[in-house]
Amino acid sequence: MSVTIKSREEILEHLRGVLSDLYELRPEQIVPEANLYTDLDLDSIDAVDLFLTLKEITGRKIQPQTFKDVRTVNDVIDAIQALTSKPAG
Amino acid sequence: MSGAGRKLNHVWRIFATGVVFVLLGVGALVLSITMFPVLRLTSWNADTARRRIQRGMQLTFRAYMEIMRALGILTFHVEGAERLRESGRLIVANHPTLLDVVLLVSQMPEVDCIVKRGLWRNPFLRWPVSWAGYLPNSEGEALIEECSATLRRGHSLLVFPEGTRTVPGESPRMQRGAAHIALAADSEILPVTIDCDPPTLFKGNPWYRVPARRFHLNVVVGAPVAARDFVRGDEVPARAARRLTRWMLEQFDAGRMLRSNPGEASASAWLPAVQPFTR
Repeated sequence: MSVTIKSREEILEHLRGVLSDLYELRPEQIVPEANLYTDLDLDSIDAVDLFLTLKEITGRKIQPQTFKDVRTVNDVIDAIQALTSKPAG
Repeated sequence: MSGAGRKLNHVWRIFATGVVFVLLGVGALVLSITMFPVLRLTSWNADTARRRIQRGMQLTFRAYMEIMRALGILTFHVEGAERLRESGRLIVANHPTLLDVVLLVSQMPEVDCIVKRGLWRNPFLRWPVSWAGYLPNSEGEALIEECSATLRRGHSLLVFPEGTRTVPGESPRMQRGAAHIALAADSEILPVTIDCDPPTLFKGNPWYRVPARRFHLNVVVGAPVAARDFVRGDEVPARAARRLTRWMLEQFDAGRMLRSNPGEASASAWLPAVQPFTR
């Protein structure tokens, strides 16, 4: 189920849905500057789940190291944008 | 007790606590080169030896508890101890003191524990911990996988979901690893609450700062629940893990509340009152 996501706002909106659904978060908590681990209380297992979910959503192969340095919601948006701007492969 | 008597008792308890700490350290090294290798050699079968070594751990820790009781350092009571002897469950306990492991293992003839991975570099202690089948505290999913595998084999596993000792009056930040283990293994969870009165040997409190009077460790073993009772439909494990972790915290908080309002309810009346979510 691949979706085409373009603007950062659209990606954020999409992430709100994914994160609040997966981790019992309120959509208003999910702001670009929120830290996944300290503000949103994700743990390493959650991060792996998120990574797999995003892989499914974008339909792209995501390299694990892409997500190694991800700390904030903004970083996730950057990573998705970088991925989806490349031609599908 | 008179003022002088109380002072003398205080000095005695500092001295006795120091002696016990040395005994714990020296005892661990001596037993590592005597009792544990002998137990290992009693069977070719590693699993048989593992069980004997875990039993050796229990008897060693029971001896430590009885020595501390005899020296007047502490008293202790375990309510529901028989449930600790039933195997195959994830035993989750709060972690108020340095002696929680000693006290709980002293009640369990067979239990797997997670221990510091640094012990595998200790020339003495690495052998007993590996023969006992204890698990090194590795990272994230690897540890969860190993822990759930040991539960699926029918072993009991002792875990402190708070991750570290707590400080009195501070609310702990619960780790969700314990919940993930139980969900991955589809096991039962046995909640255990430990209370130390007056508080001592907690995080950041040095051993020589002994409390004003002999302390009492009270352990209440709750009723087991199944991890799958916390799973709704086909949702992601992340949600069930959060629900299960909240339930664990409720169990621990119930124990802590009892301490701040003693006499309000008996612990045995309190614990089963909090029911998990059922489908």
